[in-house]
Amino acid sequence: MDFESLSADLRALQQRALDEASAAPDPESLELLQIRYLSKKGEITTVLRGIGALPPGDRPRVGAIANGVSEAVKAALGRREAELHAEVQTLRLASERVDVTLPGRPRARGTLHPIPETAACIAEVFGQFGFVVYEGPEVEDDLTNFQMLNIPPDHPARDLWDTLYVDIPGHLLRTHTSPGQIRVMQSTRPPIRALLPGRCFRYEAVDASHGFEFFQVEGLMVDEGTSLADLKGLLDEFAHALFGPRKTRFRPGYYPFTEPSVAFDVECLVCGGVGCPACSRTGWMTILGAGMVHPVVLQYGGIDPERYQGFAFGMGVERIANLRHAVPDLRYYLENDLRFLEQFR
Amino acid sequence: MRVPLTWLREYVDVQLTPEQLAERLTLLGMEVQGIEQWGADWRSVVVGELLTVEKHPYADRLHVTTVNIGSGEPLHIVCGAHNIAPGQRVPVALPGAVLPGDRRIERTEKMGIASEGMLCSGDELHITADAEGILILPAEAPLGRQLSDLYGDTVLDVDVKPNRGDALCLIGLAREVAAATGAALRWPEIAVEETGRPVGERLRVDVREPELCTRFVGRWVSGAAIGPSPDWVQMRLQTAGMRPINNVVDASNYVMLELGKPTHTFDGAAVHEGTIIVRRAVRGERLETLDHVKRELTEDTLIIADPQGPIGIAGVMGGAESEIGDHTTEIAIESAIFDPVSIRRTGHRYALRSEASLRFEKGQEFRLARIGADRVTQLTLAWAGGSVAKGRIDTAPAEPDPSRLAFRPRRVSKLLGAEVTAAEQRELLRRVGIETEEAATAQQIQVAVDPKPLAVPAGEDQVLVATVPTWRRDLAIEADLAEEIARVRGYESTPAHLPDTLMPAYRPSSLRVREMLRETLAGAGLTEVVTHALVSSLDEARLVWPEDTSEPAMLGNLAAQSGDEIVVTNPLSAQHSVLRRHLAASLLDVLSLNERQGRGDVAVFEIGKGYARVDDAPREWTRLAFLMSGAAEPASWNRTARPYDLDDAKGIVELLCQRLGLPAPSYVPDSRGFPFHPGRALVARAEEGPTALSGRIAEMHPDLLARWDLRAQRVIVAELASPALDAAVPARVRVEPMPRFPEVERDLAVIVAESHTAAEVEATIRRHGGALLRGLRLFDLYRGAPLAATEKSLAYRLVLGARDRTLTEAEVDAAVAGVRSGLESEIGAHLRT
Repeated sequence: MDFESLSADLRALQQRALDEASAAPDPESLELLQIRYLSKKGEITTVLRGIGALPPGDRPRVGAIANGVSEAVKAALGRREAELHAEVQTLRLASERVDVTLPGRPRARGTLHPIPETAACIAEVFGQFGFVVYEGPEVEDDLTNFQMLNIPPDHPARDLWDTLYVDIPGHLLRTHTSPGQIRVMQSTRPPIRALLPGRCFRYEAVDASHGFEFFQVEGLMVDEGTSLADLKGLLDEFAHALFGPRKTRFRPGYYPFTEPSVAFDVECLVCGGVGCPACSRTGWMTILGAGMVHPVVLQYGGIDPERYQGFAFGMGVERIANLRHAVPDLRYYLENDLRFLEQFR
Repeated sequence: MRVPLTWLREYVDVQLTPEQLAERLTLLGMEVQGIEQWGADWRSVVVGELLTVEKHPYADRLHVTTVNIGSGEPLHIVCGAHNIAPGQRVPVALPGAVLPGDRRIERTEKMGIASEGMLCSGDELHITADAEGILILPAEAPLGRQLSDLYGDTVLDVDVKPNRGDALCLIGLAREVAAATGAALRWPEIAVEETGRPVGERLRVDVREPELCTRFVGRWVSGAAIGPSPDWVQMRLQTAGMRPINNVVDASNYVMLELGKPTHTFDGAAVHEGTIIVRRAVRGERLETLDHVKRELTEDTLIIADPQGPIGIAGVMGGAESEIGDHTTEIAIESAIFDPVSIRRTGHRYALRSEASLRFEKGQEFRLARIGADRVTQLTLAWAGGSVAKGRIDTAPAEPDPSRLAFRPRRVSKLLGAEVTAAEQRELLRRVGIETEEAATAQQIQVAVDPKPLAVPAGEDQVLVATVPTWRRDLAIEADLAEEIARVRGYESTPAHLPDTLMPAYRPSSLRVREMLRETLAGAGLTEVVTHALVSSLDEARLVWPEDTSEPAMLGNLAAQSGDEIVVTNPLSAQHSVLRRHLAASLLDVLSLNERQGRGDVAVFEIGKGYARVDDAPREWTRLAFLMSGAAEPASWNRTARPYDLDDAKGIVELLCQRLGLPAPSYVPDSRGFPFHPGRALVARAEEGPTALSGRIAEMHPDLLARWDLRAQRVIVAELASPALDAAVPARVRVEPMPRFPEVERDLAVIVAESHTAAEVEATIRRHGGALLRGLRLFDLYRGAPLAATEKSLAYRLVLGARDRTLTEAEVDAAVAGVRSGLESEIGAHLRT
């Protein structure tokens, strides 16, 4: 063995190994080539066994050549491995193509009922103006529901509230959220800004615009100098928040517990004020009733009517929800047909 | 109240269109709820003149007429009435006409004679009450004119509020119109020609209850002839919504509509000894009222009586025996003021509320007793003839002066939030008849009347004194005058201004926790429902949801959430007669409704109140219930359907406990059976400090589903109570630092007899795991070979660790060994690892 033939063997070996590497069909063949050429018992090592027969001066040169061959084979195997990986991956990805236009896996989410949602929406608007939420009992006593609100027994104004009575003496199902005014005034001191949402009851036959159970939100603000103009300002903001910019007006109303009493109208949401069947051709829709708290009510609430004055308002949640969502029939709300409820996505 | 504009114009000039007038009245507080064209339903009815009236050749009861309607050939019309004669002008319905009640008139043939239309009675046109004869029109009625042009009217439907009884009449509304437009009010000329003997010879009045009848004015008319009122009177009453009866009763009704003063007319011959006694009924007395109902009178009923017994219920309805009839000639007229509360109670007691009682309830101006008596007498004389006895019986002739009410213009401005000068305020009040003057002396200001009168010294403010018209019984305090000023001024001019006063102290919203849970439940796939609080007593019988208190170890603060049911004493229907104590039955109703709409996959929840009574006091608390039925995951192209089961419900309860800051709930089987599946019902509880949650989760018994007529095979219902639902503040999270030392996981397969529940196994592991056991999760449940048929294998993953060090292998082994031996010794488990 001489230097020349040894180095020629190595070069031939390199050539063969490179050819075989680039022709390797799969990772397993590459593994075999790796063992065949580069392992301890591999062909390069085998060739190098002949190095002992060389003159000592040539041995480092052969060693260097062998290292070069070894690196080249390793690199070729690596390259081929990368190529094969890329091929396999490309094939896999190609095989994994899906119709991306198919619909997704359904995620069920329930919907929230429009009545509590509307009440929450109302509370949110007034909350920005410092109104805090209170809740009063639904089984109320006659005193708080009527008498303390300036509606004595046998007063003709009682006809405005057809009442359901219960078998607890002196009690009834509250006909409005207004008794909450008394409860708030009795439990706190001015400045008062309170909001009272809740369920109410009346003896009323059910049709598209009436029900014996319904929901109201009551508002109360009492301080020194709280005026009708403050009420107008707040209600304008409220109407704006819920129905967008449109004209509003006060007109006279009547409630025994407010003096003066007003009705709050907004420009008809259907015709924009021109006049249509929805607004009885008046161009206006009544949103709520309100007024300055009657001195009698303040007195029952333990508040000095000479020092303090305030306003109260009450609105039907269904009425607001009807207008916001174009709900044609009040009965939808307590019927709970999912075809209705699931529209409130 | 129906207000015919032609009638209203008698008392005030109106230059506005009906629509403009309606808006002005509405903005003044007299809300116009509708504008009706009276006569709009007389189409193609014209004025005709009878040319000939002849007997029908083949029918005795019919006439054949020829009628000139002003143009074209005279019409031949067959008619059945007997009050017609040539030369009369009559309403003619032409072929094609449509009368009230959608009655169509066509060319017809009557007993062989063609009839080209119809002559109309007052009743057919709803103009008068006369159905017998043809309506005879005034001779000057223009031929050929549409009847609606002549007698049509515009009627406003005005909603007069309960505090304005004074406006519940034409004069009252004319006053409002005058205030709104500045026009002058015209009172009718009221004068009575008295030609008879002194009234005291005919009528005596004995008021024995002067508290309940504060004034009684009596008049007497002799020799009247009862018959129909003049047509124009009948037309007015009809247009205003009141049926004409006869000339005397119509006079009384006319005055009620005109002046707002209810009066009553008796057949004088039926008033024994000419003596009227106003007293309370005595036990056992009976009276047949005008509606021909015989009524047992209760002792607190105020009645009008004669010496022989009751002849009327005061202010509500007269008696049939003293009714004005065809042969009446003597007429006793009552114009009284009764106590409003007494009248209202009586009306309610006998379920008899008349136009009269509604007006008495609202209170009457004192003067009206006298004025009303005179006006009824005047009209009776005009329409029925006779002679009027001289003078009136009057039990309280002294009429009080108008009251005076002091107010502070500055205070009014402050209430309205608008600067209205004193001069302007005075002018506005003057327009509604309230005269004002500068206060001459120091005045007390009436701030409130009830419950405790409050009058304050005026202090530095300018004070005006208003003279309140006698008809305005609603004006009693300063704020009432503020309202008058505001409404006459017009609320449209109220400035809008955002409050700039102090904000109240922070207060957390009691809705917050409920809102959080609602969002959570919706996110978990449940849809919110809101159902009736009033339920059927029958439903309650169909599903008795066990009360929480029946459980032995009831959680302290939930104990109050039960009691007897509250029953409505005047329910609208049996279906809604009881306040519910639980929500579950309502959710089954929701399922039922949706199943009927063909919807079987239903998952709904409600957060609502339960109500009960404890020691005759009402209790209310918030409950949460949900129901699941059908597919939890409906089939889709990329998955198969999965039905809801008990585990879904438990998962929801576990989620709720997490949101409320409670530990995972513990479960105890509830094997009571009906209404629950005996093997699929449980009590769930979670408790943390003062907060607790408790409730039941159950698959419903098939027999219960059958009772509800449900198609669903499996329905899971859960209902929970927790004080946390009413809490304003959600539980606060307290963070634990992340563990600094690694935790170790070990799996244990616990093989136990079926009789041991998972809860028992888990409790045993926790008990023996000690402080190092930081997590425990069941990840597999296996039954079958090689296990015995009575066994199951529960595979748990234990997480072990310590906060202060890395556990050694030996520590972990010792902990697991402890768990193993505990399981073996306490519940006879053996383990595979």
